[in-house]
Amino acid sequence: MKRGMGIADARAMHPTIEVVEADPDADRRLLESLADWCDRYTPLVALDGLDGLFLDITGCAHLFGGEKPMLEDMLSRFFHQGFGVRAGIASTAGAAWAAARFSGNHIVAPGKEEAFLGPLPLSALRIEQENRTRLESVGLRTAGAVMAAPRSPLVRRFGAALLLRLDQALGRLDEAISPRLPAAPLSVERQLAEPITQIEHVQLVTESLATTLKSQLEQRGEGARRLALILFRTDGAVSRIAVGTSRPLREPPVIQKLFHEKLSAIGQDFDVGFGFDLIRLAVLSTAPFEIRQADLVGEANDDDADIALFADRIRARLGEEAILKPVTVESHLPERAVLTVPFAREVKLENSAAKKPGKARDPVPLSVSRPEHPIRLFHSPEPIEVPATEVPEGPPLHFRWRRALHRVVRAEGPERIAAEWWRETIPKIKVKDGEDPEVVRNRVAAMEAARLTRDYFRVEDTEGRRYWLYRQGLYGMSDKAPRWFLHGLFA
Amino acid sequence: MAKLAVTRETVFALRREIARIEGILPERFETPDGRDATVIRRGGMAVDPLLRSGIRRLDETLGGGLPKAALTEIHGGQTRDAGCVAGFALALLSLLLKTSPPEAPVLWAGTSEIFSEAGFPYAGGLRAFFGIDPEALLFSEVPKIQDALWVAEEAARLKALSAVVLEIRGNPERLDLTATRRLHHRAQDSGRPVFLLRQAALAEPTAAPCRLVVSPASAAARQTIIGPLAGSIGRPAFTVAVSKSRTALPGQFTLEWNPDERAFEERRSEERTGEKQRTENPVTLVPASFGRADPAAATGTVLAFQTGPAQAPRHQPSRQERPTHRRSRRTG
Repeated sequence: MKRGMGIADARAMHPTIEVVEADPDADRRLLESLADWCDRYTPLVALDGLDGLFLDITGCAHLFGGEKPMLEDMLSRFFHQGFGVRAGIASTAGAAWAAARFSGNHIVAPGKEEAFLGPLPLSALRIEQENRTRLESVGLRTAGAVMAAPRSPLVRRFGAALLLRLDQALGRLDEAISPRLPAAPLSVERQLAEPITQIEHVQLVTESLATTLKSQLEQRGEGARRLALILFRTDGAVSRIAVGTSRPLREPPVIQKLFHEKLSAIGQDFDVGFGFDLIRLAVLSTAPFEIRQADLVGEANDDDADIALFADRIRARLGEEAILKPVTVESHLPERAVLTVPFAREVKLENSAAKKPGKARDPVPLSVSRPEHPIRLFHSPEPIEVPATEVPEGPPLHFRWRRALHRVVRAEGPERIAAEWWRETIPKIKVKDGEDPEVVRNRVAAMEAARLTRDYFRVEDTEGRRYWLYRQGLYGMSDKAPRWFLHGLFA
Repeated sequence: MAKLAVTRETVFALRREIARIEGILPERFETPDGRDATVIRRGGMAVDPLLRSGIRRLDETLGGGLPKAALTEIHGGQTRDAGCVAGFALALLSLLLKTSPPEAPVLWAGTSEIFSEAGFPYAGGLRAFFGIDPEALLFSEVPKIQDALWVAEEAARLKALSAVVLEIRGNPERLDLTATRRLHHRAQDSGRPVFLLRQAALAEPTAAPCRLVVSPASAAARQTIIGPLAGSIGRPAFTVAVSKSRTALPGQFTLEWNPDERAFEERRSEERTGEKQRTENPVTLVPASFGRADPAAATGTVLAFQTGPAQAPRHQPSRQERPTHRRSRRTG
């Protein structure tokens, strides 16, 4: 059996052969999940091509008892997961690459790179195939031969890439690996002798990790804004659970509570497998922590903190959109005048009334002349049928909303609200080839409708319910009668 | 005299015991005019445990006012009444925020269903009508009812919120007596009111001490210098019926909300006209279905639209109920 052999030939040789289609995406995903798992050795893990991983273990080896025990631990864990792995450790990425591929599971001592690379073939230098054949054709068959050759003719004939790779492998030039994930500013972890399978135990470990984290955060004078709990399963799967906080946080019970919400939201879907043997709590981003003095009464009046924590718990459990706050914007359009944004989002609107710097704006006085706006507004105005109006531009006599007929007893209005021409640019309608003309027409109509003037009426029906209706567009603008919508309810 | 004092001591001890059992442990004092006054001391300031509507008759029916540290149910008959039910709850909130400085926000939680069916609370209108600033509002919109209940329960135990409003449509199974009891206990512990707005729902057993049923009422005309302006729509008005309260007194009131004064006013004279109009197009109320067993039909309710064969005339049994021997016998 050789590489590049046809399936028919292979079947002829071995009739029972199993044929599996290549799936580069799945291979990539597998490599990424392995990279995640390798996070237990160092936070700096980079992918190398399709079949390799770079681990920057600077300053990490002593945690595993030195380089050799670390290598052995890594190899044995991979072996138990069912992977065939070759690894090498060296002071430079290039030498480690060569060590892994050409002299399996070898540790190259610092300063010995040249001696190690010398007898290896040219492919140990990570150079292109084309350059390699050209070098071999001039008789340079090993890395040692290239090192011995004079540099300037080499650059002239084979390009700078060759010497760059060589220098990197020998440590004359620094080579930066690009880690997949940014290294967390702070992280604490616990290796567990016995894998744990209970979510409650995970939470206990989280709290004790958070206690360790607290002192580190205190030393830095910071609090955590984003935290991630990374759970390493014994069979190699890694889960990352991240929570965000509205304000810098360092109290262990609070951190534990946030993860509790997140874990209980995942609930039964959480696959524990054979348990977790390493749990890490990482702080992904921090912010300065302000310490406030509590009052003597004991009833802590730091209400904002309570609300922030409450909001964080809702966000951790039910998602960012589950808790909202209204933000007023200077706009005439009712649906734009108040935006509801997620609680955690910082509002950066240049025309936000609440965020004018310097002077605090007085709220608009509640004078009689101000038209009254409803207390409930529909996300999208609901179309209603209006068979007749008293006068063409006037309020409806009755209307049908959600199949029920409502007779209008009294009406106030109109309050005319036009589109904001200073904001809206007229978009060009793009027509794709072969698009249904009906679809295009609908799109044009929807865009036109958004710019139409609306006449709003407050109406009251026979039973005393008060509605906010509007007529879209004016009579005589087109051959079709303007449409009516119900936009809100009054008290 | 001494005997009288001993009796009073006994009565006080018993009252205290009752209060302990009921879970309210305020200090009760006998005032000179013979009525009980309840005072809860906090930080040297007496806090009124009752939210008084300002309408004497309504407050008396409710036994002094709505309890602040409790769950209060506010019902609406139909989804389209959501505007006036929410308006009444907001008026109560406005009264609450008027007496206490509105530093703490109000949380308005609900399911996505009710917010899409009846509209999302619009902060612009809330400020104009009820003087509640957008900064003092938080909303929570979640798709599932159990999540909405969880949010409300967690919020109800917070002292940092001034009130919690939970809005639910229909009679879902999750919102049973136990769920209301949980909400009520948390509200009692934190001392903050929880308003449970139940749109398009029928009355069910509840742990809330008060249940109010709100329906719309025609607004009076706007008052101008030269008198009422014909055809105009004035202040918001509600018809409030007390369906459950500590005093168990029934009562129906037509209240008008004064947005300028932020106070209720009772309306009596116009009540008649409102009543007359309301009977014009009666529709039987059916709660929004929620995939649970139907509650037993109350006496006298019928389906809104009956299909099938023509009904028997009134006061006569229908065909099925008619005795067999009177049925027209088939021949042949």
